[in-house]
Amino acid sequence: MNVPARRSAKAIPALLVLLFVGLGTTDAGWIRRTKLVDRLSQRSARTLRVERPTLRRGSRYAADRVLIRFKPYVADAYAQGLLRSYGFSSVRLIPQIGVYCVRTSHGFSVTETLAMLRRNGDIEQARPDYRARLTDTPNDTFFVSYQYNLRNRGGILDISDDIRPQMTSGADIKATPAWDAALGDPGVVIAVLDSGVDRTHPDLAAKVISPGHDFANDDDDATDDNWHGTHVAGVAAADTNNAQGIAGVARNCTILPVKVAGADGMGFYSWIIDGLIWATDQGAAVINLSMGGDFDDPFLEDACKYAFDRGVVVVASAGNEFGGSVVYPAAYDSYVLAVAATDYDDLPADFSSSGPQVDVAAPGVYILGPVPQWYAGEGNLPYLFASGTSQAAPHVSGMAALIKSLKPELRPADIMRIIRYTADDVNASVDCGRDDHIGYGRINMERALVPYILN
Amino acid sequence: MTKRSTGVWRLISLGIALAFLAAPAPAAESKIETFVAGLNFDHFSKTVVWDGDTASSRLRASLVSARADLGFGKGLTLSLSAGFSLAGFGGLAFETLPITLEYDASSLKGLVLGAELEALLHKFGKFEIKAAGRFVSSFGMSKTWPLEGFAVEGQAKGRLNWMEASAGPRLAYLLSDKFVPYLEVNARWLRADFRMEETLEDLHGLETKRSNGDLSFSVALGGDVRASERVTIKAKAGFAPYPGGTDALISIGLFYMF
Repeated sequence: MNVPARRSAKAIPALLVLLFVGLGTTDAGWIRRTKLVDRLSQRSARTLRVERPTLRRGSRYAADRVLIRFKPYVADAYAQGLLRSYGFSSVRLIPQIGVYCVRTSHGFSVTETLAMLRRNGDIEQARPDYRARLTDTPNDTFFVSYQYNLRNRGGILDISDDIRPQMTSGADIKATPAWDAALGDPGVVIAVLDSGVDRTHPDLAAKVISPGHDFANDDDDATDDNWHGTHVAGVAAADTNNAQGIAGVARNCTILPVKVAGADGMGFYSWIIDGLIWATDQGAAVINLSMGGDFDDPFLEDACKYAFDRGVVVVASAGNEFGGSVVYPAAYDSYVLAVAATDYDDLPADFSSSGPQVDVAAPGVYILGPVPQWYAGEGNLPYLFASGTSQAAPHVSGMAALIKSLKPELRPADIMRIIRYTADDVNASVDCGRDDHIGYGRINMERALVPYILN
Repeated sequence: MTKRSTGVWRLISLGIALAFLAAPAPAAESKIETFVAGLNFDHFSKTVVWDGDTASSRLRASLVSARADLGFGKGLTLSLSAGFSLAGFGGLAFETLPITLEYDASSLKGLVLGAELEALLHKFGKFEIKAAGRFVSSFGMSKTWPLEGFAVEGQAKGRLNWMEASAGPRLAYLLSDKFVPYLEVNARWLRADFRMEETLEDLHGLETKRSNGDLSFSVALGGDVRASERVTIKAKAGFAPYPGGTDALISIGLFYMF
């Protein structure tokens, strides 16, 4: 990877930030805005490196310990005697903060012990000894600084000198806690129906399971001759924790490239129909369609139904025309999840189409993803920021793949419901409940994948 | 039913049959010679491994029941009980529901019915050996929890049913009229099913955890204390070891002889 020296070197060719307004099969073809920004490589990968923690999900607190603080007037000797009288086998005082750590009596759970202690008027607080975990961040170079979509800790999204938006902490899809529950099964395949995928990209080479199929040129090589499909595939399931590039949503799931759009970003419904059926027959669990057209077509709907009936979750971008209707196939409400876009503040993106078919939203503004090296240009890193519902949809596809990995018995309709019902209603102050702009809300992977505690 | 649990059932059935055979048939004489009634409190824990699962959970059950002991003479006693139970499992996750639920709640209520048969097998000097068989079944009441934080209304509904059968010999030492200590060894079998239903608008899931129980043996020390002419206190405490731990049981009751 080429690492340039200084940020101020504006004479050096910069990396493109592409702001999508559309990728479609409409007469207008692909519509996109481009913007020059500084190189990503000016943020040294070395400075972002983090060690990979190993701790994974376990119970939330120690099964045999609780922490107790007595009221200020209680003398230490009395407190210790009282704790011994409960039969705790070990009583340890942390004198600096006046807290006792005790081992629970045999045969009593933490819940029972806490209930018993909280009835004692001399005790101010009794709490479980909660488990902490090392900050579970993948070591991908750009994860910490740029992938607000997966974990947003606030601050500035420092894309370039003139693009430095202030982000809202927590405006993300809660990927990191969700990864504690599921990293994905390599057997769960996400078919990316798009402009193809660059199989040689270092962040995708290990994830693409086959050359795929090219319905635009009718051959068995779905290599990306645009850039869009590579970007979308990377957002959904880039090679993660490989010490370079970005993290994908479905970290361990794999990608099946299906080329249904040509180099110009145009595709026909017949190609999409073929692609849907082919990907389904190849065993894809999820199909991502970051594209769409304006025209309702029963044959396209039938192809979506074909996939749905065979257990495939079909996810599609809602479209990039603010005030416009949801495009097809996203508008096939019964069989397809329609995804709108939000930004780094959890606000609906100003380009996102709306309508009653919108199911959920996901981050779709300044999303960093891989692109073919030839597209980025010699000497530039093969990554770029892009915006659009095209970028929002693969977040949902990745989430669907993780759910499928964790619960393979679930049918597509149930996975679609889980994704809808676990979303955060981030525009509740304006539009409470489901609405036509972001559907049920911005997806929340943690709520869908991490167990709900009944207490 | 698995081969192993079938074997356990046979063992327990044999114990209960022995209790019947050891004494003259009560129906033939059809005379109730003694009638004792009282209140009993039982608490026990039992570690179970769920069918198709490798993780274990510990059932903790507390029972308060009204009990009647019918004495038919020659050492044969039939006890019938009815009451309430509070039971819960620790460390239990319902992972096949659409949204995985981790049970960390208080105990669930249930109605409990039980029967126990005790028969004298042999008496020598101050010792007597009895055979005892016991069956207890708890019919759980449903409990509902709201599922909060979702985009739609939701709830989880759980119900726990369990039954336990046990049988074994009891060696009693007839120390005095006032106090009779005993040692009891039991083969125990527990069947439990914990049904959890999840609803989030039109998203439904149902998971039932089942356990046919493994054979376990318990050893208990107990004593019957005659507090007065008509009042007796019965107490028992024991343990049931299993690989990697020990389950416990205690029982105490206050009875009045009519």
